[in-house]
Amino acid sequence: MNVEITGLARRFGRTMAVAGVDLQAGPGVFGLLGPNGAGKTSLLRMMATAIRPTSGTLRLLGRDPGSYGPRREIRRRLGYLPQNLGYYPGFSVAEFVEYFALLKEVPAAQVPAVVTVAIDRVELGGEAKTKLRTLSGGMLRRVGVAQAIVNEPELLLLDEPTAGLDPEQRVAFRALLRDLGLRATVVVSTHLVEDVGAACTQVALMDRGKIVFHGTPNDLTARGEGYGTGDAPLERGYSAVLAEARS
Amino acid sequence: MTAGTARKVPAAAPDREARLAWPPRAGMRLLRLYAASRRVPVAIGAIAACAVGLRIALTGHWDSYGALQLPLVFEAGAAAAITITTASPLGEPERVTGRWLPFLRLATTLALTAAAAGALTAAGIGAHLAGGTVDVLRNLAGMTGIGLLCAAALGGRLAWIGPTGYLVVGAYGLYTQWHGPALTTPWIWPARPPHDVGAEMCAALVFTIGIVITSVRGAHDPAGE
Amino acid sequence: MTAVQAPAAARPTPVKRGPLRATARLLRLELRRNAMLWMLPVAIGLFWFTAYRKAVAIPPLWNLRAASMQIGALLAFVCPVVGAAAWMGSRESRRHTTDLVTITARPRWVRQLATWAATTCWATVGYLGCVAALYGVTAQQAAWGGPLWWPAAVAAASLPALSALGFAAGTLIPSRFTPPVATVAAFFVLALSTQLIVGSQSYWQISPVVTGPWDMTPDAGVGTFYPYLPDLPIAQVMFLTGLTIAVLGAVALPGGSGGGWLRRPAAAVTMAGLVAAGTAVALAGTGTMDAHGMIAIPALHDAANDRPLRYTPVCSHTAIPVCLNPAYASYLPTAATALAPVLSEVAGLPGAPVRISQAAATYRQGIGNSVGIGLPGPPISGTPPVFRLLLPSQLPGPTMTTSELAAAVRSSAGFALVASVIGDNAGATRAQQAVTAALSMSAGLPQSSPAAPTRQRPNATVPLPAPVQSAARRFAALPASARHSWLMQHLAALRAGRIALAQLP
Repeated sequence: MNVEITGLARRFGRTMAVAGVDLQAGPGVFGLLGPNGAGKTSLLRMMATAIRPTSGTLRLLGRDPGSYGPRREIRRRLGYLPQNLGYYPGFSVAEFVEYFALLKEVPAAQVPAVVTVAIDRVELGGEAKTKLRTLSGGMLRRVGVAQAIVNEPELLLLDEPTAGLDPEQRVAFRALLRDLGLRATVVVSTHLVEDVGAACTQVALMDRGKIVFHGTPNDLTARGEGYGTGDAPLERGYSAVLAEARS
Repeated sequence: MTAGTARKVPAAAPDREARLAWPPRAGMRLLRLYAASRRVPVAIGAIAACAVGLRIALTGHWDSYGALQLPLVFEAGAAAAITITTASPLGEPERVTGRWLPFLRLATTLALTAAAAGALTAAGIGAHLAGGTVDVLRNLAGMTGIGLLCAAALGGRLAWIGPTGYLVVGAYGLYTQWHGPALTTPWIWPARPPHDVGAEMCAALVFTIGIVITSVRGAHDPAGE
Repeated sequence: MTAVQAPAAARPTPVKRGPLRATARLLRLELRRNAMLWMLPVAIGLFWFTAYRKAVAIPPLWNLRAASMQIGALLAFVCPVVGAAAWMGSRESRRHTTDLVTITARPRWVRQLATWAATTCWATVGYLGCVAALYGVTAQQAAWGGPLWWPAAVAAASLPALSALGFAAGTLIPSRFTPPVATVAAFFVLALSTQLIVGSQSYWQISPVVTGPWDMTPDAGVGTFYPYLPDLPIAQVMFLTGLTIAVLGAVALPGGSGGGWLRRPAAAVTMAGLVAAGTAVALAGTGTMDAHGMIAIPALHDAANDRPLRYTPVCSHTAIPVCLNPAYASYLPTAATALAPVLSEVAGLPGAPVRISQAAATYRQGIGNSVGIGLPGPPISGTPPVFRLLLPSQLPGPTMTTSELAAAVRSSAGFALVASVIGDNAGATRAQQAVTAALSMSAGLPQSSPAAPTRQRPNATVPLPAPVQSAARRFAALPASARHSWLMQHLAALRAGRIALAQLP
């Protein structure tokens, strides 16, 4: 298992953003659904080692990120795309991805090659020298994906990765996710249930800091049978689970 | 959101009277929110720190051009703090709103400049403030104008380049009054005597141009910020 | 995004990581996108306006221009460097990339160091260009000597320190107000540090804008006859290096910068930097002005620097040769022309000097920041006698025009020369006073002469009694040959006081 979480919690002041989560994930694409404020981003940030848990245990890639040495090893094998991607407007696409390749301690001799591959995989090869400030929102998102995958991570965490992508690019991105999931654990936090249905082998639904559903997309669809709210089977399953959790 | 729970949104009030009928409280609230978005409270704190620093520094003995360079340093700091407030964190959504934005920019800049002038002048009360109040007003207004022009060209967050660069120029100009040849151009107004009309006009002109440009157009908004 | 078309890249194989190569690549990226590059025009513009123009307007003496360059470069670069460094230090917060870069493997301190290094590199490149321009012009204009590198080294060592301070401020407080506050504070501290210097042995001499005894202003006489003392510059470089190391080490101390393997050495490095800086300050506190106008620090002093520099003087072809240090060769025509009338009056007289030779000034610390500058001994001494001359440019004061310099040489050295030959000093007879006045009149010297550099007539500014003035006018009215002939016969008696006023022709 690449991700082993037991009783994980995170508090921000008085707010319990994550209120005890148990989760295990191995290679594959793992979808994380939930309404706004459910705690998805906080959970993802803990898995990305950006913030520490308030309580509970967290093991990533067989290591405890609480100590510096193992955390550094995890970060070498980690890719992360946050919901709000910051960037340096003066950098070009290639420079931005190269910067993160170097920070992730990709061997220097391999950096040019891995940068090229990462940029090609998100279909920005023709924009490699383009300044980030001139790119559209969707293209910036793809640059964010490129920096997340440049080190061929074993654990890839993506928060709203398809935001701003057009339908064609979303289809291509799902194919990329499935390919990445063959070797790595990919955790995708999204509001788009069709992304989950198309790419994920496992899905968890969070609400108010807890996981209220964990299973396959088909299991989630089954939960929605006979439920009226939602335009698609997965949406009905999503609504049904939430309604049950809140009742 | 569900269709069942959505509240009815009242229809927009189209008539002109309704739009113009702004209660004063709303105006003050708008001003307060605008000031918060521009970090005006922090700027006021920075200006107060400049005034306190000047007051403390005036307890020491400063002679010849050092006595004139000292207040110039704090005037530059205050001018930089004023002009940095022109930076907008909100970008395009704010710029495409109604007509109040230029007035808000103008009012904020004028109020901060007046506050800075008052604070720095008060810091000199009871101490030997070389150049006097006129010097403070002239230098502060001029350097604020330079900062506003920088904000218009480079963006509010980089507006400090103007006042701090001019600080070096002004300090050097003062130095040349004692170690010639003296720089006498009115465009280096800190080096001119306090009641030099040419210097006052230059400083006022720069301030006026800067405040007009930044009030009407706002600070330059770099793409991506 | 294609999972099928692009080949699935194999995970980078764990090879030897080559930290130097990776660091070089990181630095290369930072260099290309650093804000200091955009601030260089501001820095260079300020340098040109405040330092370069001033430096090339003063005489082409290496010591003058180097000292002027050190002060001017610092004041021109402090604002752009500190501001740019603070701007770069706050980059991650401004661009909302904190999370993105925090979760990478490379320690935060390494990342920050690359950004700081790039800022410093550009600042140094700009500064070196400015130094090259000024020193290049000076090399073409200077008549003697070579570039003084210690002033350039002090200013160069200041740049990493300023950059580190600004960068640390931007990292710790990533606010939009941090760059201007840091900039103004740095400028204020540089200016404040000089105002706190009182006399010798002041700790504030460690400030990098201090080139010598404070309030003396860069002096043309310093570092020309004797070597430029590196004592104070060594202490200043030590201080700036220690400060830089301490600040950069402190940046690595907060949690998240790296593991214990980094933070413990960082703490040690910070302490070492502080110790170095503190030691330098203590050394500066022992610095006193030596007799040659420079700050000598006993613990750093090399006695070899107390020996005068060897040089071949440049001399005029006047009645009595006027010989100057070759660094002042451009002054020779003016000085010789100014003194020619005096020299023709006294040349060949018994006891007249065989040569007018420029001397090194001696410096004495007065009360507070006052400095006394003058000749080390009597104006005329030695066998055969040589008259020692201090040019007005060796004394503190504004830069003179050619005519002002000639007038000053004539009135100070000319008068002193005549007085020395005639023996017109304290206790001089009225006849001696009259002859001195007469020769001064004939040579066109001003009658109310200003103070000579050292020994002057005690009553020089007191008008001469009427009989003395009358005798002086009579003596001056004689043809030059007659005056000279009379003096050849009677100068010894005149100097011995055996000639009365009525005996003057």
